[in-house]
Order: sequence, then structure tokens, then C-alpha cells
Amino acid sequence: MASHGKGTNNPNVKIAAGAMVCEDCELIGDITIGSRTIIHPKAKIVAEAGPIVIGDFNIIEELVTITNKSSSDGNSGKVLIIGNNNVFEVGANVEAIRIGDHNVIEGKASVGSQVEVSNGCIIGAGCQLNMPELVPENTVVYGGKCERRTQRERPPAQTLQIDFLTKILPNYHYLMKPNLQPRQASVKK
Amino acid sequence: MATYMDVNLVKYLCSCGKKFPICRLYLCKHCLKPRCIDCVQHEVDTPYCPNCLETMPTGEAKLKKNRCSNCFDCPVCGHTLMTRATTHTTPNPEDPTKVITKKMYYMACGFCRWTTRDVNLPDQSVATGNWPELENPNSKRISTLLDNYRAMAQIEKAERERKKYVKRRSHLYLQEKYGLPSSAMKRKGLSSLASLSQKDGDKVLGELEPSATVDSFEPLPNDFFTQPAALDKTTKLPNRLNVPEFQPEETGKLHIIHKHLLMRKSLRCKECEHNLIKADFNPVSIKFKIQLTALNHVPELRILNPCTFTYNKESVVTLTLSNPSVFNTTVTLAAIENETDTDYCTGKIDLPKKELVLAGRDEPSMHVYDDSSQAHLDFKDDPKVIAFRKANKIGFIVKVTPLVKEGDVRVCFLLKHEFRNTTVAALQSESKEPEIVWLEHKVYISLGQI
Repeated sequence: MASHGKGTNNPNVKIAAGAMVCEDCELIGDITIGSRTIIHPKAKIVAEAGPIVIGDFNIIEELVTITNKSSSDGNSGKVLIIGNNNVFEVGANVEAIRIGDHNVIEGKASVGSQVEVSNGCIIGAGCQLNMPELVPENTVVYGGKCERRTQRERPPAQTLQIDFLTKILPNYHYLMKPNLQPRQASVKK
Repeated sequence: MATYMDVNLVKYLCSCGKKFPICRLYLCKHCLKPRCIDCVQHEVDTPYCPNCLETMPTGEAKLKKNRCSNCFDCPVCGHTLMTRATTHTTPNPEDPTKVITKKMYYMACGFCRWTTRDVNLPDQSVATGNWPELENPNSKRISTLLDNYRAMAQIEKAERERKKYVKRRSHLYLQEKYGLPSSAMKRKGLSSLASLSQKDGDKVLGELEPSATVDSFEPLPNDFFTQPAALDKTTKLPNRLNVPEFQPEETGKLHIIHKHLLMRKSLRCKECEHNLIKADFNPVSIKFKIQLTALNHVPELRILNPCTFTYNKESVVTLTLSNPSVFNTTVTLAAIENETDTDYCTGKIDLPKKELVLAGRDEPSMHVYDDSSQAHLDFKDDPKVIAFRKANKIGFIVKVTPLVKEGDVRVCFLLKHEFRNTTVAALQSESKEPEIVWLEHKVYISLGQI
């Protein structure tokens, strides 16, 4: 564990109680992580242009990169807010303006810096969204041509998976200590 | 694996005159000629479902319109649908305080996340089958047409047979023509012919109403021009063409599609009628009963690395040959005499004049790394010709002179190699040793651009 303790010496990282943040991930800048959110090892969260606030019950898998990127059109300093119950699958790259609730960003998918994702969306494996847009609710982007359709129901919350990971992750990884009490944290923020 | 990359650089000539990469060719062990996919006979072994691997006889498959009854494709993206189970609770009608939990099933696409619930298909209580089928609006018309064509075919067949018959005994034809009783024919066992008499056919033909020509269409409704297009509720063209019988225009009218069956094929040499490819009967198995691909019998020639060429200047090119056989194989290379495809070659090739000996393929030793190989000493290789030798593979040097100022440098030559014929017929002839024959292949190589 070469990087043991790397994340902990960033004073700007606020982790709510109940969150599982592996130490072997890279957290740079002002980051707030909500309760019951799980961040796997080797994930990378870079709050470059402004703070990143991650809500509750999110799963951020290995090699995911979430960046609050300073784009040229002067939205730097804005907060990147990620809602609740989102899943970021292995290798996803997210630079979005905002991510709502109940979204799934599948493996190796990429969400560009001018995209706003609403709720219940699925960005399929390997799909890229680069143009400035607000992705409407319950949109599914899939396939090599990034085809779209609207689904009737939003993807289900991954509660069981979160419970499982909460049990299993501490057995194999060092975790960062929560430094916020859950309720006050989300209010104070 | 490299065999299947850049396959189009080195091509072998098939016996039918087409050039194919070696991994696409077959070698008929009986004719001792290369065969390609275009000059062999394709035979259907059995239709099977690629998802559940259920096989069925051709007749049954035809009845089911070549579709699997249990497996479905997504109407949006075409992926196979998965069955998902959910629990459904309903209050018990006898005791309102209790609830009955029932397992219900629906189908979902793992790729585009379409579900049968999207189009309001009710969940099913059983895991497989039982999904409602849509009735083809034109099925009646299609079946009358089919019946009609069948009758037509029978009439034509009967006519053909009658003609044959007439030639032999013309009086019977006259008998029937004048309405004479057909007892004579029946006695002779020709009742089937009699039943196909022209009268029946006329009746069927008469019933059929001819197709009507459509010469005018209703104009598009005004909404079409005034309302913004609801693209998310409209199906795409491929979605409609997937189901030609319904062609749904709205996403809400999509329906699960029965999965198409695939054919398990075997290939047969057209000349000697021996099997070239025969798959194991069980579709789950990936083994072959007979598999005569050229790659397993003919030395494979490849280009070792890309070269640079200059017009009219000799360059050294290293080619590799690998031996698929377990025996040492001798290979000779020669220019093609009276080459017919004169346009192909754009370079002159200087081939090694000596015989090249390839070591046998020894599967276990191929996985052991042995650098101190004495192989080049065993084979007394000429270092001017043989660049390297490694297990069953050699690299040899040829000199190529491009004869064009620009474009592809292409050469061709004749590859002759020993082949141990291990067919039963060849083994039966006195000596138990496999007979050695020399096979010739024309090889066409595209070496690269100038």
C-alpha cells in the first residue's frame, strides 16, 4: 500500500458517517461525500475548478474519474453536485456540470464537461456525450452509435449491492475515516 | 492468432481460381485440392436456436417459421431478451389480512434496457413461453396465396408426369380427355395422378382474388406538419423492418420478436462428394467430426515485417513459413510458369533455390522456451537463406525488385510442399506408412506500398 494515507492528508475532503471511501483512491480538492456512498480503490475524483459534492447511496467503481473541470466559458468555481443512488461503473469518465439521482454511467462511458444529466438516465458502456445538453429524465444511451430511447422506469437503486460492499470492502481495504456527522453534514454543506 | 489478422496480404489460389487467405480455405484430402467457401456444397445439418441451443428437424423449424418458440429478441436493439423475476403481492380474497406473493416474470433487454413493461405487456406467471402472439393481419391472404401456389405446383407436376406418360401410351390421355371412367388408371395405381386432375386446380385458381393496385394514398394529416415530431415515441426504420408483418410506427406498439434459428452447416467437396466440414451433432459441442481446413495441412506463409521498397531496386524481404504437420516437411518455391493473372504481379521475386525443410509441429515443446536450440545445426541451414528457425517455423530471405514506380508491390510464386496423405483409402494400400504426395499452391503476396 504505497498510497496508504494519501487521501487522508487532504483537509478539504469531508466524508459523512456511513460512507465507504477506500484509501487507495485519489481525492484532490474540495470534496464532500455523502453517507452510504461507496468509493472503490483506484477511483479518482478531482475538484479542480470548484468543489464536488457527492450525495448518498452512490457507488463509484474502480478507475472512475470524476472531474470538476474548468471549462473556458467561465463556469469555474461552480459546484459539481452529484445526487443520490447513482452508479459509476468501472472506468467511467465524468466531467458533467451536474448529475441528478438514480443514474447509471456504465463502464468506460464518458460524460463531457458541458453535459447536465438529470434523473434516471443510463449512459451505456463506452458511450460518449460531448455536446452541451441537458439529458432528459429516464434517457437510455446505448450502442456504438449512442442511440437513445426513453425508458418508462428509472433504474432501481442498488441498495443490496451497497449493503454487500459495506460488509466486504473493510475486509480487504483501508478506509478513510468519516469526519462529518451525516445529518448535520448534508444540511451544513 | 496473428493468422487471423491482416489476412488479406498473403493469399492462396483456390482450385476454382479465386484467391483466399489460407485461414478461409479447405483442403480436400481425397482430391488433394484446395477448396473455398464458394466452390463447396453447403448442407444444412439441423436448425438450432443460438440462445437455448435447442435443435429441431427442418420440417418443424419450417412450421415455426424458422424461429425459436421460447427465446426472444429485443424489438429495439435486437439483443436477446432476458427473463426477469419479480414478486407480485395481491391481497388474499379469502383473508384480507394476508397477502399472496406470486412470482411474476417479464422480459428485459440488458443492452438498451427495454422491457416488456415498457409496452404494457402484462407480466407472465411462468418463466418461459406463454407470451401473447400477435395475429398477422395478412395471414389469411398469405395462406390462400400459399394454397394456390401449392395447387399450381401440383398441376404443373401432374402435367409433367402426364406428358411423360403420354409419350408412352397416348390412348390413356384420350380416355381422360373424353371423360371416360378412370377405373383403368386406378387399376394401374395411378389414382394419385387422377386426383390431381385439372378440374381441382381450376377451382382453386378461380377462388383467388387478384391483388388490387393501390393508386392513391390518403394525404398526410395536418398534425403531421403542424405538430413537432415526437421522435422518442416513433420507431426507427430498422425496428419496423425487423417485423415486416406489423411494422409498428409507435414505440408503444413494439412486441417481442421470436429469435431466428441458425443453421448448423456441413460442407462437402463438389467433386468427390466427401465431407470437408462436419460438425458434431450436438449443437452445444464446439468439436468437429471432420474438419479439413487448409490451415491444418498446408504450410502457412506470412510476411515477417514491413519493408520499404524503391523502384527497380532489389530489397530483402523476410517471409516465414510454419508447418502444421507433425512430420518434417520439405517445401520448394518456384516461379509460376505461364502465369495467367499477369496483372497481379508488380515485382520480380528472387526465390531460394534450395529445398526448405520445416521441422514438425511438436505441440508440447512449443510451450517451453528454449533459446539454446541446435535446430539450425540439425538442419544444416544456409544462413544466407534461412534467417531464423524456431520450432516448426522458419524465416527465409527473398529478394524483391519492384517493377512499378508507385503502388502496391505484389508478387506471386508456386509453393510446393510434401503432404502425408492419411486418408483411409491411402492407408489401405499395402504399406502402412502414409503416402507422401507433393501439393502445389499458387501464393499471391501483397508486400506493401512503394
